[in-house]
Amino acid sequence: MSTLLPAIEFRVNGASQLIHVSPMKRLLDVLREDLQLTGTKEGCGEGECGSCSVRMDGELVNSCMVPVVQAQGACIETVEGLACDAELHPLQKAFLDFGGAQCGICTPGMLMAATQLLAQNPHPSLAEIREGLAGNLCRCTGFIRIFDSVIEAMAANTNHATRQGGDAR
Amino acid sequence: MGRARYVDDIEREGMWHGATVRSNIPRGLVRSIEFDPRINWGEFAVVTAADIPGKNHIQLIFSDQPCLADGSVNHCEEAIVLLAHPSRQRVREALDAVHIEYEPLPTVFTIEESERGDVIVWGTDNVLKSFLLEKGEVDQAWDKAVHVVEGEYRTGAQEHLYIENNGMIAEYSQSEGVTVWGSLQCPYYVHKSLVAVFGLPEDKVRVIQTETGGAFGGKEDFPSILASHAALLAMKSGRPVKMVYDRLEDLAATPKRHPSRIRHRTAVDAAGKLLAMDIEIATDGGAYSTLSSTVLSRATLHSPGPYVCPNVRVRSRAFATNTVPYGAFRGFGAPQAIFAVERHMDEIAAAIAMDPVELRRINFLRDGDTTATEQVMREPVILDKLLDRALEESDYYAKKARFARENSASAIKRGMGIAAFFHGSGFTGSGERYLNSLAGVDVTSEGKARVLVSSTEFGQGTNTVLTQIAAEALGLETTDLVMAPPDTRIVPNSGPTVASRTAMVVGRLIQRASTQLVDTLRDAAELSEVFTRDEFFAACERYRALHGEVVSLCRYEPPPNIFWDDQKYRGEAYPAYAWSVHVAQVAVDTVTYSAEVEEFWAVQEVGRVLNPVLAGGQVEGGVAQGIGYALYEKVLWQNGRMANNQMTNYIMPTAEDVPPIHVYFEEIPFDHGGFGAKGVGELPHDGPAPAILNAIMNATGVGFYSIPLMPEDMLAKLAASHAIEESVSV
Amino acid sequence: MRGDPGAHELIAPGSLNAVLSLLANEPGKWTPIAGGTELMVAHAAGRLTARNLVSLWGIGDLRFIRIHSDSIVVGAGSTFRDLRAHVTISGDFPLLSKAAGWIGSIANQSRATLGGNLVNGSPAADSSPVLLAYDAEVELISVRGTRRLPYAEFHTGYKQNVLAADELLYAVHLPRRFAQHRQYLRKVGTRRAMAISKVALAGCAFVERGTVREIRLGVASVAAYPTRLYRTEKAICGKTIGPETIRAARAAVSADIVPIDDIRSTAEYRRIVTGNLLQEFLSGLDAPRENMTLSLAQWNEADGESAVNAMLACCGAHKWAASMIAHRPIANESDLHDIADRMWETMKESDWMEAFACHPRIGERTVSQGSSESLTWSQQEQSSISTAAETTLRQLAEGNARYEERFGFTYIVCATGKSPEEMLSILNRRLSSDRAAELREAAEQQRQIMHIRLRKWLDE
Repeated sequence: MSTLLPAIEFRVNGASQLIHVSPMKRLLDVLREDLQLTGTKEGCGEGECGSCSVRMDGELVNSCMVPVVQAQGACIETVEGLACDAELHPLQKAFLDFGGAQCGICTPGMLMAATQLLAQNPHPSLAEIREGLAGNLCRCTGFIRIFDSVIEAMAANTNHATRQGGDAR
Repeated sequence: MGRARYVDDIEREGMWHGATVRSNIPRGLVRSIEFDPRINWGEFAVVTAADIPGKNHIQLIFSDQPCLADGSVNHCEEAIVLLAHPSRQRVREALDAVHIEYEPLPTVFTIEESERGDVIVWGTDNVLKSFLLEKGEVDQAWDKAVHVVEGEYRTGAQEHLYIENNGMIAEYSQSEGVTVWGSLQCPYYVHKSLVAVFGLPEDKVRVIQTETGGAFGGKEDFPSILASHAALLAMKSGRPVKMVYDRLEDLAATPKRHPSRIRHRTAVDAAGKLLAMDIEIATDGGAYSTLSSTVLSRATLHSPGPYVCPNVRVRSRAFATNTVPYGAFRGFGAPQAIFAVERHMDEIAAAIAMDPVELRRINFLRDGDTTATEQVMREPVILDKLLDRALEESDYYAKKARFARENSASAIKRGMGIAAFFHGSGFTGSGERYLNSLAGVDVTSEGKARVLVSSTEFGQGTNTVLTQIAAEALGLETTDLVMAPPDTRIVPNSGPTVASRTAMVVGRLIQRASTQLVDTLRDAAELSEVFTRDEFFAACERYRALHGEVVSLCRYEPPPNIFWDDQKYRGEAYPAYAWSVHVAQVAVDTVTYSAEVEEFWAVQEVGRVLNPVLAGGQVEGGVAQGIGYALYEKVLWQNGRMANNQMTNYIMPTAEDVPPIHVYFEEIPFDHGGFGAKGVGELPHDGPAPAILNAIMNATGVGFYSIPLMPEDMLAKLAASHAIEESVSV
Repeated sequence: MRGDPGAHELIAPGSLNAVLSLLANEPGKWTPIAGGTELMVAHAAGRLTARNLVSLWGIGDLRFIRIHSDSIVVGAGSTFRDLRAHVTISGDFPLLSKAAGWIGSIANQSRATLGGNLVNGSPAADSSPVLLAYDAEVELISVRGTRRLPYAEFHTGYKQNVLAADELLYAVHLPRRFAQHRQYLRKVGTRRAMAISKVALAGCAFVERGTVREIRLGVASVAAYPTRLYRTEKAICGKTIGPETIRAARAAVSADIVPIDDIRSTAEYRRIVTGNLLQEFLSGLDAPRENMTLSLAQWNEADGESAVNAMLACCGAHKWAASMIAHRPIANESDLHDIADRMWETMKESDWMEAFACHPRIGERTVSQGSSESLTWSQQEQSSISTAAETTLRQLAEGNARYEERFGFTYIVCATGKSPEEMLSILNRRLSSDRAAELREAAEQQRQIMHIRLRKWLDE
């Protein structure tokens, strides 16, 4: 077995990263330890709780299930990439205002799942919201106000898009 | 946003990682501990009971639980040896290199085994605690009764499943003593424990709460153990030490909700009025007493339900078994007791052919009535109103009738069920007096007002509510207020963050302290009657110039006329009660025998609702946990060990499983609570289980008496009464 | 995290041939890892015994869905999300679509692969009952070549299968002959999402005037591996649906399965519920098929021009639209899709180009050709673009330009349910293809869009 750690190159929140790391190291641990992006959390290590959710090449993944070598050349988005400088993402703002976050530990993963959902389906029904978030466990809220937050963010997005000059509909 | 720092996000320079060698047998003597020579132990710090400088126990109510096992173990996963190493990887691997030889001893795993007393595993008779509550003459009532209804109800263990596992970081030095940072609810509980384990003076122990990812009672007493472990390793290694459990360890080794067996024997008259209630409560406390006595106390006091009954007897006992000690979990004995009494009310209704709604209504406590402990209801009791609202919002009767018509032609059987209950806010009886909480506010020279409490935030809204109270009482904006860091070096002991006491008891202290500060500034710093925020802060600076600091603290004052007899279990059990009615609509699928909650209504009176978003969130979250308790969450035991210690196999409801939950508040401000608040945190977990099982009985005609109620449990009775083989119609 | 990353070797040769050579040279040494949703759980629990792993992730030769006239071939590297998103699969193999949506969560579905699900060989595997019911074949590959066998013969014991030490599961072949079959799938889990099945039953039957002519039943979690219920099928085949047949079927299935007590459920529960699911399926076989929808009935009667315009909105190739009209009256939705496919297969490059030209570029809102209905639908399908970041839009514009320069036609992708980043990612992947392959791919995407629009049109 080689003792040289291979180079992994990928983009995280728009910035290029090059690290030398064991290929079987979990993407979750690479984000938290090698890149100091501790927003992504470990809740179970089994792909059940979703608190480690990130977006990889435009898809939602549980980063605890991804050996980092499979992220070679990928585009990763984590919760740290959502807010633009001091401006909160509409989802984050909605979560804060509508009680979508209580203890906050599931929130980063929940935000990534909600971002993914709205990226694929800008106007999801409540059933589609439930399905889109079914892989993210929240023990505090009972999910109800998380649904409300997503619906609110959806409305904000619509206004945003309309203000940007969309015509058809 | 990703910026909040939970304990596992924090690194201290030169930090090592700790791990725990745990017992893999449920009871026995430790014959030897061998360290495999293939490991270079010189790289590690190793701690056993012999290293403990102070007392080898975790200070709670009794002190029977050791910090580290010393010569014997009484449950699987009991901590025996601690290891620390710079590498998180290596320290985990080293656990397998510590070989422990045991001499197994006979074990006790169930309430029944413990009760039989063939094997004694605690004290002289396995009984961790017992209570006897008596009102009137229960034994006189049976002969006069028109109906006597009996029932036995069981509840299983339940895991908190906070998404953030337990974790601590500790540092030790001769000069500073012990400092710990961690995920916890009660800084001063941990403080007290560390003082005992290390034999240090109080000012040489410092406890700081980090951002805590959920707790629900699961981080009330356990953090004292983990903090002691991390601190012992820090002392031995001379390094900061981090110990964070993974999910497998947290599930297997930390406390859960007490399982219970509760028996009711009830006498009613021809009209359905309760004549006598004879209740027997047994809880499983696990291997050490920890909080079993207080959980039992609350179970005892909640067991007769929100009803008037002239004759009541409650005999309750907490039993020791060789399992991980059970602990605090949202509701703290009330969910168990209320499950039993509210299921039993429906059984009584069925036995006497009465509407379960009306049976409750005619027995409800009302203003001026006395409870089982002879407490007079001096505050308004509006159960009638809550019940009416719940029935109306849920369209209860119409739905019940419709389902009765539709069920026969459908494989899905639907039904409606209710539960009515109270939850005593704050500590029982003299508990608050004993806690003697101190809390207040101060103002910094940077122009910020701070709330000084050891009450912690773990998602339930402590920070928002207390700053809101302080702001209102000080006449400031909430943006002028911050919470002082939850650090025992900075904040006074306002008591533990438990028992739904924070808004009510601590909030009241904050309110009083704030008012006191304003009065003081008016008297001594020329603050006028009506003032702006700038004038307020200017007055503070004037005061500071004269007195050096601007701080106002208040100590707990019990509300008037609170008398509690701990021996006879009589008097004012709680200073205040929150009241609630829950309605559940369930669907039972006779193909798979599974039940789902389709919709849920929760109506409650909790004093003044200080923050509707937070209060609503507490109710929804509590109901969701209650639904899990009833239908999904099962702990599987194998020889005293949790066999399903993975999130894959311990099942909580997902976003696709929770029903719509409708929440309604009726407000009656409580004079002795923070701005009229009573507690709301635990109340919502009390009602779902009985409401759901009552609904299942309505839907199927079959009664079930035990939770968690899984499809496998419903199979036998449902298959017999709803055999779909017979319903083959093509 | 109890596993030690340093204790495992994980290489990613990046091509199918390289992986096959590796397996041939060192048989038994290398454990393939695709999406990792099984092996990484073991790794985190400190239970991963495989020391040498070879990554299959990102190997394009394994991740494909090829449509032929008589079969669909799914590459083993296809994720469950690929399956769910695929219009033809949801049309021809709805049970597979459904099962794909039940596996784990959205995050698991984007990584878990069909091959991984089968090779991992859990008795509870979600895709297995469906593949059994659909009479699927598996194709195995090694340096020595390929071989095919019925999926029903793939598993030989608990977590054991017929793969030789140098073989990989390459693809699953699904025969496209179930348009007239009655289909059933039900999974019984511990909750609605993220549940390992306690029992799952898939059924596919051809019923003619109340008699079962053909039936296949696939079941999970009631034996050492997912299996067909041959004895039960025998008790049903050739019989008329009725209480007697159902009773015989229940008796047969009880003997046909060997459920156990385990951490999730009991043998008794599994036995009884399997019988209940079977009864539910069989009872439903007697119900009439769905009726013709209103808009289809109207279309059958409409004048030529309106009818052609309705078709052009779904696919801008005039020849195709005309061929659809020629088949009126069309009896039902299923026939409509069937004929649409067969007619599409007869189209040539010039027809494809005509259809392509009616789509605005991904990221743009307008196009110079095609009807306004077509444009409206394009905009709906591409609605996720409204959430795209500035950089993504720019990259899409650049990518589109490069694509057109290289291949001579618009980048066509079935946008429904895809995020802007995904469409960009797919674009970048496809840029490295050759024109012939791209033409076929674009035509296939066009076909998927056509089916989506036909469905929408019927729903209106």
